[in-house]
Amino acid sequence: MNTLKGLLSFALVACFAFVAQAQTADEIIEKYLQNIGGKEKLRAMKALRMTGKAKQQGMEFPFTTINAEGGKQRQAFTFQGKEIVQPCFDGTTGWSTNFMTMKPEKMETEDTDNMKREAADFPEPFLDYAKKGYTVTLEGKEKVEGTECFKIKLTKKPQIIEGKEVENVTYYFFDTENFVPLVSKSTMKKGQAKGTTMETVYSDYQEVNGLYFPMSIAQKMNGQTLITIVVEKTEINPTLDEKTFAMPAEATTTK
Amino acid sequence: MYRKLLLAASISLFSANLAFAQEAIPLKGEELFGSLRARQIGPALMSGRISDIEGHPTDSKVVYIGTAGGGVWKSVDGGVTFKSIFDKYTQSIGAVAINPKNPDKEVWVGTGEVWTRNSVSVGDGIYKTEDGGQNWTKMGLEKTERISSIKIDPTNPNVIYVAALGALWGDSQDRGVYKTTDGGKTWEKILYVDATTGCSDLTLDPQNPNVVYAAFWEFRRTAYSFSSGGAKSALYKSTDGGKTWAKIHNGFPTGKLGRIAVAVAPSNPNILYSVIESEKPENKGLYRSDDGGQNWKFLNGDFELSVRPFYFSRIVIDPKNPEVVCKAGLSGSISRDGGKTFRTHGGVHSDIHDYWFDINNSQAMFVATDGGLYRTWDGGNVFDMVKNLPISQFYHVSVDNSKPYKVYGGLQDNGSWYAPSESPGGIENRDWFSVGAGDGFRVYRHPTKANIIYSEMQGAENIWRYDTERKQSMIIKPYPADAKEKLRFNWNTPIQISSHQADRLYVASQYLHKSEDMGETWVKISPDLTTNDPKKQQQENSGGLSADNSGAENHCTIFSVAESALDQNIIWVGTDDGNVQVTTDGGKTWTNTIANVPNLPKNTWAYHVEPSRFDKNTCYVVFTGYTQNDQATYVYKTTDMGKSWKSIATADIKGFARNIKEDLENPNLLFLGTEFGLYITVDGGQNWSQFTNNMPNVAVHYITIHPETNDLVMGTHGRGVIIIDDISPLRQITNANVANEVFFFKTKATTLRDDNPFSEGGDMGEYVGDNPDRSAKIIYYLKSRHTFGKMTLEILDKDGKVLADLPAGKSKGINIVNWNYRLKLPKVAKAKTFSFGGFAAPRLPEGTYTVRLTKGSKVYESTIELKADPNSMHSNADRATQYATTMKLYNMTEQLAYTVDQIDMLRDGATDRLAKDAKLQKTLQPFISQLEKFKERLVVMKGDNYVGSAEPQLREKMAELYSEIANYYGKPSNAQMASLAVIEERFKTAQTELEGIKTKQLTAINAALVKAKLEELKLRSFDEFKAASN
Repeated sequence: MNTLKGLLSFALVACFAFVAQAQTADEIIEKYLQNIGGKEKLRAMKALRMTGKAKQQGMEFPFTTINAEGGKQRQAFTFQGKEIVQPCFDGTTGWSTNFMTMKPEKMETEDTDNMKREAADFPEPFLDYAKKGYTVTLEGKEKVEGTECFKIKLTKKPQIIEGKEVENVTYYFFDTENFVPLVSKSTMKKGQAKGTTMETVYSDYQEVNGLYFPMSIAQKMNGQTLITIVVEKTEINPTLDEKTFAMPAEATTTK
Repeated sequence: MYRKLLLAASISLFSANLAFAQEAIPLKGEELFGSLRARQIGPALMSGRISDIEGHPTDSKVVYIGTAGGGVWKSVDGGVTFKSIFDKYTQSIGAVAINPKNPDKEVWVGTGEVWTRNSVSVGDGIYKTEDGGQNWTKMGLEKTERISSIKIDPTNPNVIYVAALGALWGDSQDRGVYKTTDGGKTWEKILYVDATTGCSDLTLDPQNPNVVYAAFWEFRRTAYSFSSGGAKSALYKSTDGGKTWAKIHNGFPTGKLGRIAVAVAPSNPNILYSVIESEKPENKGLYRSDDGGQNWKFLNGDFELSVRPFYFSRIVIDPKNPEVVCKAGLSGSISRDGGKTFRTHGGVHSDIHDYWFDINNSQAMFVATDGGLYRTWDGGNVFDMVKNLPISQFYHVSVDNSKPYKVYGGLQDNGSWYAPSESPGGIENRDWFSVGAGDGFRVYRHPTKANIIYSEMQGAENIWRYDTERKQSMIIKPYPADAKEKLRFNWNTPIQISSHQADRLYVASQYLHKSEDMGETWVKISPDLTTNDPKKQQQENSGGLSADNSGAENHCTIFSVAESALDQNIIWVGTDDGNVQVTTDGGKTWTNTIANVPNLPKNTWAYHVEPSRFDKNTCYVVFTGYTQNDQATYVYKTTDMGKSWKSIATADIKGFARNIKEDLENPNLLFLGTEFGLYITVDGGQNWSQFTNNMPNVAVHYITIHPETNDLVMGTHGRGVIIIDDISPLRQITNANVANEVFFFKTKATTLRDDNPFSEGGDMGEYVGDNPDRSAKIIYYLKSRHTFGKMTLEILDKDGKVLADLPAGKSKGINIVNWNYRLKLPKVAKAKTFSFGGFAAPRLPEGTYTVRLTKGSKVYESTIELKADPNSMHSNADRATQYATTMKLYNMTEQLAYTVDQIDMLRDGATDRLAKDAKLQKTLQPFISQLEKFKERLVVMKGDNYVGSAEPQLREKMAELYSEIANYYGKPSNAQMASLAVIEERFKTAQTELEGIKTKQLTAINAALVKAKLEELKLRSFDEFKAASN
């Protein structure tokens, strides 16, 4: 709670100071990383488990997401007591549960490769971004959520889409008062929604062991909210079963 | 604190400066509108005018189109679907160009269409994207108004040539050929002729980009005439990148020339084609050069080659074959013998403006028309239309009082139409109905006779009264009273229905005509209300080198008519030559009030008159000056019947105004349509904000408000009909209200609609407009964006029980949160597969519910009301039965889930103890088997969720009946009630069976476990089960 108070008074000071002073992308990112708990704490985070609810079209389902070093990740929804994994990646293989058979199936090789290319995103894409081969640029200010924001363009390693290398860009909108992202935007590159911009809206930042996380994350497409994740429990460096991310063996017998 | 002070300071500043009674509300833009959002409903069925097509140089899947008034659209799938990528900028597009060295990312857009009909819009410079269209930067040339071509040097993409056609309605020096050598940072005008002559076409030699061809055109429009051609139209060539230029007219016609187009064959740069508008009919048409423009030969003067040069001057050559040439025209034509002969291809909407050849297959082409984009795969014989481009250009829009209400309007070159404002699965192309031919303008449904529609075509050539039931149309236009009289009707002739007399109709020429019998009889109720200037009535001579008397230049006509809603004897009239006339005695006497309008240039088009609904003496007028080369915003208000007028336009507004709409309840809430979007004021015009949430910078030609739904419905000239559902929150914006941290807006009760249509499909690749959301809306204002700490939004019943927790909106400004007024899904018994019936949720009954917003430690409360569907065929008693039955099944479903949970816990516990002590085999194994068999009768334990599904068990049957009853809002059928009895009986038996197990076997087993020093088997309570996440 103390950190939050500190943050707010810091933001207030920043609000005054900032009027005269031009910002660079690096300054904004530095302030952001500082405000959410600092680089050391982020670097010490090797895994993160968030548990909560996914709300979609008036329905809600239990939801768990686990992220770990090496880009490992696992997102799972529970419907009628059955867990559906959408998607999971163990650093080598990407897979998800087929809704009809409830059995795991491998993702397309290209999609798995693209997850590998984003493996350095954890714990935080902006942390040591240059070492990861990412670049950032400040693209001016823009209003989102009724609030003035810095628009930061994050370019990660290119992705491969249908055999062709394409730029991997996400725009982040950092609140000019407190330097945390309110929204990020990226354009879908594959599938039915190809060419559509997906918007992710972050709010309810709260502190857990000295780090701040957005506890409400909404995904929007064409202005319509597709899904909202409300996090109820956050565990930093939880004890994880070694099989957490592995594709279950029964998959090999399904096809 | 700092912010509060600032706000207070600005408030006092405003109130000191302005004498308005209404206090100023200085909130702007997104801070005000928050998540209030427009929805676009098309249509794409008729689509609209496309001015330019540009494809990716190496990836044939990527195609861009520039449109006349609907921005830039991009396809990444070979043209099956297009997405708008230029919403935030000027929507009138002249040219699109792709950097050949960086084609995935860098695209240039020159704004301002160059097909200069008199309804053409205007641009504001050139833009560049470096990420394939997600973000754009303006790169200058703001005053060029119209850009006809952008050519990027393929060897050095920092070198770009831009052809600026420039101003249409007046002199301007911002035209000619511009060049940048630093990627658009700086521009140099490298070729300029004079203030009346612009660059109409420009192209480069693909192999030697220092060779530049530029066509110049002398042209001018006035409000009442058009002139194409003069001594200064010419074709120029430079061989040194634009340093020096020479006219290349060897073989061209002599005398005055009009519009010229030029194209170089990509596969052979010595071959050039040019179409030329000239004085003599015998040498108008297509010319060819085989030596890079040094000599020209006249090939062909066919109709399609010489028709309407101002509209159709474009030549496109097959990239692989210099002998295959397409010429834009009325129906379009193709030559396969180097221009000697042409085949008119037709088969597409008339009026073609551009072609694009697939880079890999010249038989495949795109064609840009007045009615959308077409594709051919057989070299231009048979075409299909791209049916997802909602770029239709409405002149007008109206609504009716049906449920759901319908929208009506007429389109540039695309007739008159209506469609429902909502339709199962969305508003599709097939939801639109045609109710007029030609260009369409004003369309109205008769206020009381539901089968009667009025519509018209250009210049009131026809005004129809159409019976939509019998499909009969009668022409009801007024005729001249005697042989001498000539009626002058505007291209877009005003028709007005009356709010006082259902059968009354007004139509205006230079006179105001009134009918009390739906157009059977007409009475002139005014003298000529225009300036009747004979110099402005010479349309026969209009066009310049090519006569062009389409009727579009008709002038000295009445353009806007409005009868006061408060007094039918008060009628306001605006004319296209700048008069604002009013009668207070039903037309016996008229007063021209124009002399009282301050700071308005003479003869400025009185585009829209809007009498107030709150005060007889108050009226708003917007004037449009673009036809006098004046793009200022003119919005005036009188409160004394026109004796004095005050401007309510501010520097907030961009673009000349087209329409103003006064709100139906709050006189300080006004909606203004300009050439560049929608502007809203909540303080009577002291502050204006552009509304941009899903609302492009499109020209808004007409605005109406539906009196029951409070929807704002806009006819846009380039993006079809756009609706902002329920603008009533804007009525409640006051400084006092928005001073609160959280302010809940009052909302009308939400109707629980009983109609539940089947969804429609089969529209892949077609545009589907959004439906309004049926949810109940919790609408609140947040003073600042909620970013830190927890914020929740809950709905409670009257007993304080939480029924729903919703994802709260956290934006600064207005937040709209949808609530589907259903309970959470029931907790369903775990099984091998899903019970799909279990994904249904009971709809709550009518009543008042509490809304509780918790933001950090603060709690804010409001209420929300649900009401039964007044159109429903169900009685209250039937609805109560439905809800009670649904809830019975909902609870039963959860009790069954709990039953299964207990079975699982007993089985799992027994299995666990057995693993710990194998000696218990005899005691526990039969128990485990019994439980498993028991469970198999209750839920499915095998199969999958598709065709491998197992025989349904009690859970599946119960859930199916539950969802069937939950989703029909009347009394369940007798058969359903009988089925419920069967299921309930089975369920009771199962419960009894479980109780038996618990009281008898479990006691014995637990005794055995105690004896074996193992933990007893335990069960959790129903509440514990409900709270658990599994």
